[in-house]
Amino acid sequence: MKKIGILIDKYHLKYKVTEFLKYLKSKAEVKIYIEESFLLDSSESKFDEDIFFTKAKGDLLLAFVKLIEEEPNIPVINSYKGIWLAINRYLNSVILKKAGLPVPDFSLNPKGSNPPFGDYIIKNIIDQKNYKFKPIVNKVNGQLNVADERALNEVDKTDPKYNYLYYQKFIKSKWEYKIYGIGDDVYFYKQLPILVNPNKTESRRKIEEIPELKEYCYKAMEVMDLKLTSLDFLKSNDQFFLTDINCTPNFNYIKNGHKIVADLLLELAKK
Amino acid sequence: MNIGILSKRNTMMAGKLKECLENKGHTVSIYTLKNLIINYTLLKNDFCILKSKGLFFLYAGYFLEANNIPVIPKPQISFMQKNRIQSHFLMKRIGLLTPEIYLGTAETFRNQLDLNDFPFILKPIMGSGSKGVRIIRSYEDLKVENNAILYLENFIKGIHYNVYFIDNEICTLIKPPLSHEHVNMEKIETPDDIRNLIKKWKNYFTGDLLFGHLDIVREEASNKLYVVDPGSFPEFTNWKCKISPVDSICKLILEKYENLKKNKIINGL
Repeated sequence: MKKIGILIDKYHLKYKVTEFLKYLKSKAEVKIYIEESFLLDSSESKFDEDIFFTKAKGDLLLAFVKLIEEEPNIPVINSYKGIWLAINRYLNSVILKKAGLPVPDFSLNPKGSNPPFGDYIIKNIIDQKNYKFKPIVNKVNGQLNVADERALNEVDKTDPKYNYLYYQKFIKSKWEYKIYGIGDDVYFYKQLPILVNPNKTESRRKIEEIPELKEYCYKAMEVMDLKLTSLDFLKSNDQFFLTDINCTPNFNYIKNGHKIVADLLLELAKK
Repeated sequence: MNIGILSKRNTMMAGKLKECLENKGHTVSIYTLKNLIINYTLLKNDFCILKSKGLFFLYAGYFLEANNIPVIPKPQISFMQKNRIQSHFLMKRIGLLTPEIYLGTAETFRNQLDLNDFPFILKPIMGSGSKGVRIIRSYEDLKVENNAILYLENFIKGIHYNVYFIDNEICTLIKPPLSHEHVNMEKIETPDDIRNLIKKWKNYFTGDLLFGHLDIVREEASNKLYVVDPGSFPEFTNWKCKISPVDSICKLILEKYENLKKNKIINGL
């Protein structure tokens, strides 16, 4: 029986992986490492797992992934590089743009300095904690300014206290396209943008494959070193824009998502 | 040339480098966190110097590189030295001794660390030098307000060295434990094992590490050298050896840029 290590935090363990773990335990030996109660000791670097799966992105789990990667031949889904790039919004914008993906214009500005484009959305700098997007919408001199509450808090209130804001050009779109990349398979959904309907599952529907988005998904996974991802696209004037990339997607939105992900892990396991 | 310096301050090494480069006829802009806007406006520079390795300076460095503007030192090299998780595993990969590290919440440490293992050193994951660094002698010292993940290192008891290097010059100083770069330090002759360690460290970066420093501890019990912190661009406040740090670094950076330009042309052909 294959041995699978799950690196996870309490939140994901409680709310996101019940079906997944039930299925996986019927197929493999599963060991769970919980960020909030695990002691990482760099001198203990021998593992007998055949693969590790990350379902969190905190500092301890990042260090754990790095430690595992120093041991050759044990795959980790997703890799340190993939998680690190995915949580650093500015870095992934730079890398995805350089790879030719259509990301909206973006800028990192000190607080008080406006970006070089009109309508914008302010997003958090490092997307590492579990959090629900809370938009604050304003119209200033005819321009639409949207901000994620936590991005503003990072500047004004809570740690980490950044002096900077990440601005992304606001893309007005009828639909938000949610694309899931799981190994070589790509799944397509769309929903009304959260600003239109905050209940994202209400309008969510499965859609036919869009070849252009499939290509973008493969390219993004390649340059970011992700085996499992979800991508958010908006569409304006027939042009898609990649607005977000996630390294710990909620695969429960996909029919049999838990089985698809578990089967991928079993397939990629080293033995 | 237009040269940018990404630095948390205008003064000290950044200011002196600016002056040195301006004296050679270049136009130099220093970008601090007050005026650094990370977008296309940075691309007017022929190249940039990454003096500080705070998050936003690193972002700026990566942005410039992605747009084919050289950055010296390379952002990835600076990042690997700024992020203590990265630098720990890097040291091990190179074959250098470095203290073992532990990550967990205060509660996890309380439940799983052996009292006999104290003391430890608490450090920020992203950091350099002595900022945010303190000694942990008991569980009580680990009290934190939230459930944050803490980074601890084994405390190595022994002689603490601050070892600077610029090109092939090495300047070794004995420093008080956990002190910052600017306290008074005693210069000593560089021992052979430290010289070899620096060589090994530099060789890993195959010519991209022009200068820097390592904080090293010679363990009292074993006489072995442990690297406890790397630094990509120190102020060289305590440089007490024969060459001038500012002039040498200024020259090395310009030579590096010329080489990069030459290679780019050759590769382009």
